[in-house]
Amino acid sequence: MSVKFQAFMILGALVLLIIIFVLLKHGKMTVKYSLLWMCLSLVLLVFAIFPYVVYVLRDLMGVEMPVNLVFMLMFCFVLLVLLSLSIAISQLAEKSKRLTQANAILEKRVRELEKVLQKTKEEGNSPRG
Amino acid sequence: MQTKAKILVLIPCYNEEANIVKTVERLRELCPGVDYLVINDCSTDRSAALLKENGYNYLDLPVNLGIGGGIQCGYVYAASNGYDVTVQMDGDGQHDPAYLMQIVEPVLKDELDMCIGSRFIRHEGFQTSFMRRVGIRFLSAMIFLLCGQRVLDVTSGFRATGRAMTEYFSKHYAADYPEPEAILAASLAGFRVGEAPVVMHERQGGVSSISSFKSAYYMIKVSLSLIIDRLSIKKTHHRS
Repeated sequence: MSVKFQAFMILGALVLLIIIFVLLKHGKMTVKYSLLWMCLSLVLLVFAIFPYVVYVLRDLMGVEMPVNLVFMLMFCFVLLVLLSLSIAISQLAEKSKRLTQANAILEKRVRELEKVLQKTKEEGNSPRG
Repeated sequence: MQTKAKILVLIPCYNEEANIVKTVERLRELCPGVDYLVINDCSTDRSAALLKENGYNYLDLPVNLGIGGGIQCGYVYAASNGYDVTVQMDGDGQHDPAYLMQIVEPVLKDELDMCIGSRFIRHEGFQTSFMRRVGIRFLSAMIFLLCGQRVLDVTSGFRATGRAMTEYFSKHYAADYPEPEAILAASLAGFRVGEAPVVMHERQGGVSSISSFKSAYYMIKVSLSLIIDRLSIKKTHHRS
């Protein structure tokens, strides 16, 4: 890994970390979903600062170029994040379905209550006898 | 058979302005002792206005959920209002209320937990197109292989469910094309599923929810869901 590339990696990882923190601070992302991203940027940062880790991993996995290992790991991480997003979407869809159903049933009850209320009101107003 | 059992008919309605009034009127005429509930799944035509004008009993979903989520909403309503039998009937005039008691009776007599109105037992009435029949045969064979339950008309949306089954469906019901999946899920969960012969008509107007364009997607999606259901639902004996 060239020094230049190392510098860019450090810069990139730091920018990513800062972006995550800013998003967290402004409440645009919940901690739950930030954890994976934070892991990703921290691992990137470790790789950039201590390239030795990458070399050891490269020897372990038999990858020719250390850079390819970084790319591969990043790709795996991104896949993980995408999967977690699909899970989150599915859960949200289920929740919104439940809410929609509950809402529809409540709306029907309100509609019927209003009708009864209207009726009793009219009966109360009408002159008796 | 005149009974005092509480029966609710669920009628899913998505853009059925051409049929919905006819369907509800015919049901009220033929089955006066039966409650009904139209589930308007965010129709974009005049369905909602028609339901309101006529003072029908209906649910109005605020966002479109599709047939599965809509019907499930009806099951939630039926379960919380203590209905003995819940019937699902299409709003397009395909299902004839004259046969309602045919499918309700086995459930009332506690012979079945879910009774499906089938047009393939006596081969009477509208038998749908050849390609659809091939598809239905395929799904029927698949369900038989996966859980040993023989059902001929697996895509029929004319079905009656008992209390326990309604309760189950109010919690678990497939989203997109739920009819075949519901059979497998019910059977795997240990419910007794069966069929009763009915006569169906060709839809009176409007467009079917399954167009020929979508049928390939339909077959793939349903087949895959069936296999996943088989893997994820453990066989239990609900009633021993």
